[in-house]
Amino acid sequence: MAIVKMKKMYLFGLNKERDKILGVLQKLGAAEITDLREEDIDIDVTERQLPEQLGSELSELELKLSRLKFAIDFLKPYGKELNPLIHGRPKVSVKKLQDLLNRESEIFDLIDSLSALDQKLSRLKTEESRIKSQVELIKPWEQMDIPVEELGATGRVEVRAVAVPKKDFKSLRDKVVEKELPVEIIPVGEGREKSLLLTVYHISAKSDIQELFKEFAVDTEEFTGFRGTPAKIIAQLQERLKAIETERQKIKTEISRLANRLLDMEALYDYWLLEKQKKENFMKMAGTEKVFLMKAWVPEPSVGAVKEAITSVTSAAHMVFTEPSEEDDIPVVLSNPRLVQPFEVVTELYSLPNPRGIDPNVFMAPFYFVFFGMMVSDAVYGLVLSLLSGLALWKLKLKGMGKKLVELLFLGGISTFIWGMIFGSWLGDLIKVKPLWLNPLDNPLAVLFLSFAFGLIQIYTGIILSAYKNIRNGKIVDALLDQGLWLVLLTGLVMMAFPNLTRIAKYVTIAGAGGLVLTQGRSQKNILKKFISGLLSLYNVTGYLSDVLSYSRLLALGLATGVIATVINTMARMLAVNILGYIAMLLVLIGGHLFNVAVNALGAYVHSSRLQYIEFFGKFYEGGGKPFQPLRIETKYVDLEV
Amino acid sequence: MEVTLGQVLALLGAAMAVFLPGIGSAKGVGMVGEAAAGVVTEDPSKFSQTLILQALPGTQGIYGLLTGFVVMQRIGILGGNLLPLTTYQGLLVFAACLPIAIVGLLSAIAQARAAAAGVGIVAKRPEELAKGITYAAMVETYAVLALLASILMLFGLKLA
Repeated sequence: MAIVKMKKMYLFGLNKERDKILGVLQKLGAAEITDLREEDIDIDVTERQLPEQLGSELSELELKLSRLKFAIDFLKPYGKELNPLIHGRPKVSVKKLQDLLNRESEIFDLIDSLSALDQKLSRLKTEESRIKSQVELIKPWEQMDIPVEELGATGRVEVRAVAVPKKDFKSLRDKVVEKELPVEIIPVGEGREKSLLLTVYHISAKSDIQELFKEFAVDTEEFTGFRGTPAKIIAQLQERLKAIETERQKIKTEISRLANRLLDMEALYDYWLLEKQKKENFMKMAGTEKVFLMKAWVPEPSVGAVKEAITSVTSAAHMVFTEPSEEDDIPVVLSNPRLVQPFEVVTELYSLPNPRGIDPNVFMAPFYFVFFGMMVSDAVYGLVLSLLSGLALWKLKLKGMGKKLVELLFLGGISTFIWGMIFGSWLGDLIKVKPLWLNPLDNPLAVLFLSFAFGLIQIYTGIILSAYKNIRNGKIVDALLDQGLWLVLLTGLVMMAFPNLTRIAKYVTIAGAGGLVLTQGRSQKNILKKFISGLLSLYNVTGYLSDVLSYSRLLALGLATGVIATVINTMARMLAVNILGYIAMLLVLIGGHLFNVAVNALGAYVHSSRLQYIEFFGKFYEGGGKPFQPLRIETKYVDLEV
Repeated sequence: MEVTLGQVLALLGAAMAVFLPGIGSAKGVGMVGEAAAGVVTEDPSKFSQTLILQALPGTQGIYGLLTGFVVMQRIGILGGNLLPLTTYQGLLVFAACLPIAIVGLLSAIAQARAAAAGVGIVAKRPEELAKGITYAAMVETYAVLALLASILMLFGLKLA
């Protein structure tokens, strides 16, 4: 129930056993190795060498990983993998892994052949697009039935295939007739914007013709590199395209044949990834030629396990466990009862607690639970939320934060169900059930006061936690004068709200306020300043007031859910006139209420988080903790049983 | 049945409570959607995160509809028996609609700006989504308070 205590571990070991030692630590996953090189250590390890060979080993690992990654990404679309969210990740045994490592060179040969196939595919792709654009170009000339190599000059006559803009075709022809040039113009086809012509002219007219061509922006088509009639050329090109496609299919079948090796590669990738994570930690150590020194954070409960693990592999290691010092940046692990764990995600999304502060989760969880339900507050909605998230927890293999969020939703659903019964809301007013307490639509003020009461309780809790923090740090006076007097003043103000208590309330309030005026300026030197800061501190009352008022959202969002549900029901009832209407009514009911659940669950999550972050955490919480990231088995694709 | 000025005023209030926050929410959700689309072009996996941010300024429209519905219920238009409201009664209903109508409109747009900035957080540091949501939720507070004021006023009115 709190932040787990951390121990600082220094470990001396032999370089030749370094790998083995880190191996067991990785398997145990209970030590975060931190950088020693920048630290001033008073232990005499003068040479802080970074072996050159380590750098090259690491880059070799990087290379291996990137080649495996390429192969995995390349094969992925061809392989059939089960969705890890539903089926979990594939498991790879030690034996299988050993076998894979023995055959590693064969697998890397396979990767080489894969990358050759990849290159082939991309070459085919380039060729294909080149041919396609050629076909596009030649297609309009299909009607021209002379082989393209016969175009050009033949003694006294020149034959040219030309393209002229469609709008200019007529004027070109007219010009030719007008000038009586010795030209034969044969239209052979139509391009998109150009008319395609075969022109045959006598050499003597060449310069005139070329001038005309220039005038009308006529292009001469050369067909360089081709032989035969355009129709034949196109047929050949199409054939080549077909051949490319068959070749590609062949390559693809070959790849799919290799796709069953995907798992092997993933397992290898993960193995080398672990190896890399381990090696990277070598960089953080100091050492001499024979010995290394390592610093790590170990959670106190795991100290025994760490000792045991290390002594099980070597007798030549020396460990020192010390308490963290003042300036150490201690990583944070939380340990909470199972029921509180889902709520950790709310804190994690805000900021992990300061390692020397308080873990707020145990105190926050009950409030979050109550507030979430109160804001959605419909029994059926609660059932839906719990059923859906329960189903997700049961069927899907969720991990980490995602799992906690779904669990949070599950608990929120339970709370929503309870509040739905209290307020008698079952799908709004669709199912009429007598409320256990009252319907907030009948008496919203009562629920508003209940909201304020919850707010007061949470604010008191916050102030008391702040006092506890002061007491723990030995500042008992501060706890009494800062938090204690505020509690007195606030209690007095609250008592004013009850008519039969007003007389006592007056004295309590005055005592609290007077105390604050006299003590809040105690850090000031000047007596006048002492008094003024004391007086000004009373202004904080507005802060507490707005904090309490902020809890009115508990009522407002609860009302919103109920009224929207009623709107949906009313709309649905209007439809119920005939058989089609009944179907439409059912659709409106289902769709509408699902929408309402979704919107209000989001709203409840957002607003109950906000109440924790601003109104509650603001009183006492210090964030900024750095998560504990031990060296551990953290793989990407498979579960390795190492 | 004679239509009274009071009835017109009350219905006008209901209409304003629906359409002003509705405009605000439509505009706000649109603004965040534009920002979100930019992020998703770079990284489609951020769709669900940005969608949450986009939904946030949408609540004002719902609050407005809700208030409008409460008015309709209170003045009996839903049951088909419109109450014969006096001019002052109509003005009272109208006044009760003002908080959510105006605060809803403006807070939706202000919240959309905060949420769109939150989309920027998601683009660079997706793990900090909760902080973006919290910034936007800070704005929503005022819409919630306005809703509460409007509804409490409407429940408090004696119309029959």
